[in-house]
Amino acid sequence: MKIGIDLGSRKAKFALLSGKEVVRLANLDTITFYKRFGRMEGDELSLDLEGSGIFTGDELAAASVTVTGYGRNTVNLKGARVISEIRAHVAGAVLQTGLHDFTLLDMGGQDTKVAQVSGGKLMDFVMNDKCAASSGRYLENMAAVLEVPLEELSRHYEEPVALDATCGIFGESELIGQILRGYPMSRLCAGVNLTLVKRVLPMLKRYPSKALVVTGGVALNTAMIHLLAEHHGILPVVPRYPQHNGAIGCASMG
Amino acid sequence: MRKVGFTSTIPLEVIIAAGAVPVDLNNIFITSPKSTILIEDAELAGFPRNVCGWIKGIYGTVVAHGIDEMIAVTEGDCSYTKALMEVLSLQGVRVHPFGYPASRDPQVLRHEIEKLMEYLGVGWEEVNAAKRRLDAIRLKVREIDRLSWEENRVTGEENHYFQVATSDMNGDPDTFEAEVDAFLAEARGREPMKQRMRLAFLGVPPITSGLYPFVESLDARVVFNETQRQFAMPYGIEDLVEQYRAYTYPYDIMHRLADVKREIGRRRIDGVIHYVQSFCFRQIEDLVLRRQLEIPIITLEGDKPGPVDARTKIRMEGFLELLAERLDERSA
Repeated sequence: MKIGIDLGSRKAKFALLSGKEVVRLANLDTITFYKRFGRMEGDELSLDLEGSGIFTGDELAAASVTVTGYGRNTVNLKGARVISEIRAHVAGAVLQTGLHDFTLLDMGGQDTKVAQVSGGKLMDFVMNDKCAASSGRYLENMAAVLEVPLEELSRHYEEPVALDATCGIFGESELIGQILRGYPMSRLCAGVNLTLVKRVLPMLKRYPSKALVVTGGVALNTAMIHLLAEHHGILPVVPRYPQHNGAIGCASMG
Repeated sequence: MRKVGFTSTIPLEVIIAAGAVPVDLNNIFITSPKSTILIEDAELAGFPRNVCGWIKGIYGTVVAHGIDEMIAVTEGDCSYTKALMEVLSLQGVRVHPFGYPASRDPQVLRHEIEKLMEYLGVGWEEVNAAKRRLDAIRLKVREIDRLSWEENRVTGEENHYFQVATSDMNGDPDTFEAEVDAFLAEARGREPMKQRMRLAFLGVPPITSGLYPFVESLDARVVFNETQRQFAMPYGIEDLVEQYRAYTYPYDIMHRLADVKREIGRRRIDGVIHYVQSFCFRQIEDLVLRRQLEIPIITLEGDKPGPVDARTKIRMEGFLELLAERLDERSA
């Protein structure tokens, strides 16, 4: 039994693997999880994994625990092996897709990573810096402005309305301006999704590849995947559990 | 004593020959415990938020330290310096512009240096005498650099400090030389450090602190500080004009790259940290470096002074893991 934990900026994700088989997946809001089940012991973070009810006592006793994600620089998770996020995501993508040569686009709550993987190994990577306007948080904000659920936002890709603001927050007022112009909701949603694609394209162009694997919570946005295929010219591969890719990768490294 | 500030490395010999105290404004800005406040002062004075922190820090430093005379490098470094010069002139600071010719033409450079000499009221004889004095110290600082990469007895940060400090010799060459001598005597007797991965630090010196010890805790060490080493005039050239023509920092990136490539080979570098300052034109040069250097590169971006942030650390860890795996493969 192997347990993987990915402590993301928005969600804490958990995976239980038996060999290469995914036995269980779970996720909790990161802040709620820390508040309810986390506590500092000296400079180590202690997580009450049994108390969270995600794993049984027997599973925890038998499994190796590997963790990655936010805060891991300032705290050490007690009793767990800590690995870098990029390594976890590459391992997860290799395990889930069976591919060994690809470009990985991981889009999470605040981070966007693009990695070049060759022969199953990480060759190079870039991450968004100083700006989270190409992340899941941007989609959440825009969905809130449009008053639509994320699922609805994620459906539209046709005739996108142009949104040009560099800043994700100014993008909100720009979006409000477009609402006033009377564009239909579907075109506004498509505009938001296209903005995201345009922000990550320069990073993707850095690593030309025959296959593109998209992971992270944003990969659940099917319209974004559609627009990505259209603008990047490659049909992306989305693994079965994109949001849990980091946790699965952690577990596979255990 | 007459104090002369400057915004980037200029022919230091001229200031020393004039009997003035040289002040590299970057150095006193970044070592000030109030460095972040100096930036805020500039923003309160009206400098835009999306302008490089170094420029704002220099502005805050000039005002806070009451510096009334400075040399502004207007060609070959940051173009923001021209506007900085205009603002400070309005506030009564005497500013003399200095331009490195993009062509690296020796005649044009000689003319620029002679204009500076005329401004400070010195002739070639005094300037050449000052050069001999400074070169003796630079030779010792070059030895500190050698101890860092060839004998592994000097840390990346220690080397960074001594190389950077040569831009103004901390305002007092004699005291600085004594500090260099004491350091050399101590460092020569050290046990060599054993970090596995050898890194280059390319680009402008970092505005953030703590990067060097952080990478050293991860089995890596910076053994090449590109621009800092340039500040120390590493070539031992006798002719002053030729020395500042060989200096790579103010000229085009191809001239810089020749030096970088040579040193990466000589110092057996495994990976490159390319530091870029937010809102700086040199960020664009990252794409040239990536096309020209066949070695793993991580690009780190810094904005304001302070310790290296958690996200940068996460990225740095991932990069060093990648390098370690490559080394494992090579040795397998």
